[in-house]
Amino acid sequence: MIVTFPHMGTMHITLRTLFADLGLEVMPPPPITKKTRDLGAKYAPEMTCLPFKITLGNFIESLEQGADTIITCGGVGPCRLGYYAEVQKNILKELGFKFELIIIEPNIIEVLKTLYRLTPGKSWKRIYTAFKLAGAKMTALDSIEEKICCIRPREKVSGIADLLWQQAVNGIEVARDIDNVKTVTEVFNEKMNKVELEWGYDLLRIGIVGEIYVMLEPFVNQDIVRHLGKMGVEVHKTMFLTDYVRVHLQRDRQYYNAYREIADMAKPYLGHYVGGHAIKSIGCAVQMSKAGLDGIIQVFPFNCMPEIIAKNILPQVSREVNMPILSLAFDEQSGEAGLLTRLEAFIDLLEYRRGQKGKSSAIKGTK
Amino acid sequence: MKIRIGIPRGLLYYYHGRVWEDFLCKLGAEVIISGETSKKTLQYGSALDEVCLPVKAYFGHAYEVSHDVDYLFVPRIVSAAKGQYTCPEMIGLPDMLRSNISNLPKLIEITVNLRNDWRNLYHAVTTVGKILNVGIAASLYAWYQSWRSRQQQTCLPIANSKNLSIGLIGHPYIIYDRQISMNVLDKLSKLGINVVTPDMVDADQAKNSAACLDKKIFWCYCSHLVGAAFALMQPAQVDGVILMTSFSCGPDSLIGEIIKGRAQALNIPFMLLTIDEHMAEAGFITRLEAFIDMLGRRRQL
Repeated sequence: MIVTFPHMGTMHITLRTLFADLGLEVMPPPPITKKTRDLGAKYAPEMTCLPFKITLGNFIESLEQGADTIITCGGVGPCRLGYYAEVQKNILKELGFKFELIIIEPNIIEVLKTLYRLTPGKSWKRIYTAFKLAGAKMTALDSIEEKICCIRPREKVSGIADLLWQQAVNGIEVARDIDNVKTVTEVFNEKMNKVELEWGYDLLRIGIVGEIYVMLEPFVNQDIVRHLGKMGVEVHKTMFLTDYVRVHLQRDRQYYNAYREIADMAKPYLGHYVGGHAIKSIGCAVQMSKAGLDGIIQVFPFNCMPEIIAKNILPQVSREVNMPILSLAFDEQSGEAGLLTRLEAFIDLLEYRRGQKGKSSAIKGTK
Repeated sequence: MKIRIGIPRGLLYYYHGRVWEDFLCKLGAEVIISGETSKKTLQYGSALDEVCLPVKAYFGHAYEVSHDVDYLFVPRIVSAAKGQYTCPEMIGLPDMLRSNISNLPKLIEITVNLRNDWRNLYHAVTTVGKILNVGIAASLYAWYQSWRSRQQQTCLPIANSKNLSIGLIGHPYIIYDRQISMNVLDKLSKLGINVVTPDMVDADQAKNSAACLDKKIFWCYCSHLVGAAFALMQPAQVDGVILMTSFSCGPDSLIGEIIKGRAQALNIPFMLLTIDEHMAEAGFITRLEAFIDMLGRRRQL
């Protein structure tokens, strides 16, 4: 049995560690490329959203390379994600692949049953340590990435932040136990602290809200976080894998309360859960305006239902909290040049507003 | 003076409109329903971005009827059946209206969520009663009466073997809206076609037919569409199936694939008609005629 799963940002590191430690043979899909996207778009129904197409491409590529078991998530709606797996299964079968599909439904008994089936004869202690290590890697990656986002716009030597990030990802990927992860994290924290920075600039700060897959997967969002960093913008992402797991899967109290707070801020604008992250997008926009950020960018896959609702409500939020919000939809035809033009225009607008407010206009200039 | 309540003629109005109208009248309100969808309605609806055409039409209807009423009846129907949801855009409707129409009259935006507990409906009914100053018992009785008097579903008509018959699968708010659907029902019957729509299929029969899916569909109205399509195809009661959906409809993008797969497996012709506000009538008719010609030739074989 060779296990594979869909890509989403650095999630493959976490999942690979988890499954390998559970004693399974793992083969993450090859990195997402144009070929992945084209394969997905070719075989997926036309009107499905982008994550459906890219994950389908992932599955095709890894099945071609010899994987025979796909582990993916289910759901209960109303977002389409919950029904992805069923439709993808039929498409892959029609293409003639032989495989087993394991769908993890959000139901603790089902999860335990699946776990039991996947890991026959493993002690609970071993399973527990596997989850612990995977969790530690996930947390470490997210915390490093957050810092990298602060370094990138300020770095003196261009490209050092990206280099460090790549090294950190590699370092954490090969770490064998929790202590090892801790050491690697400390080493990179040290390195990041030593990066030469240009201070004295009052950088623009932009928050990114929206759908988790688009926000976490650089191939899909055209590397928007890096581009903004290069343009001299401090980027604040609102979605991290850690957050998602802690709030929605573990219901960790501290994280859950923070989420509730955001949901309360969204209440005057959106009164009910509509699936996906619409509430969080709106709540975070309000929260970030209070925190004094300059602007918000909403990213989502084209025709994502929950985010469309958020998109139609965000102009009102923008008016009321007096902060510009740019909505960007991504699909398989999105091009980089168009994205850069829009980002530059948005940054110009934010700078102009700063000038109007009488603050010292300061931007490092596009590198 | 009676309280005037407006109901936009769109989306779930096509499922539950009669009951709503009757219920509100019984509570002593004057009910005003917006007119048929027109080009103008869709123009108003274009204020919303990226949503599907029926939601745009609904928005237009809400705008048109909002000027001369005291209340707008926009229930937030989260779920109409156990374990299922409606589509996200329907759940977020009241909020989208509120943030995109200025000078909106007060909304009656009761939440109906039968996903976990069907008794939630009673809460919704009494809340409407409260807004209109009607007591709990009286509002429940009014609801009961309106619900009982609703039209019972007609059973599946036996297909006239002479004429071709087509299963026209699509949400009622698409296929019964003459503007949105380009009057597809009339066009088909003029071409001498027997049209069977999902609401002619018995709900239980549809449920049983959909039970063969590995995972139950979690959108309540869509699951009926799939069940109805399956019921019409097995045993084959229709010569062909047309799925009419709107551009960017989320649930339909997946259930369309399921229906298509089944139709291919059973060797029944299937056509997907996607509508949006840029549709041209000529192209639409050509596609219908071509499909029907093909069905006719298959019969002669």
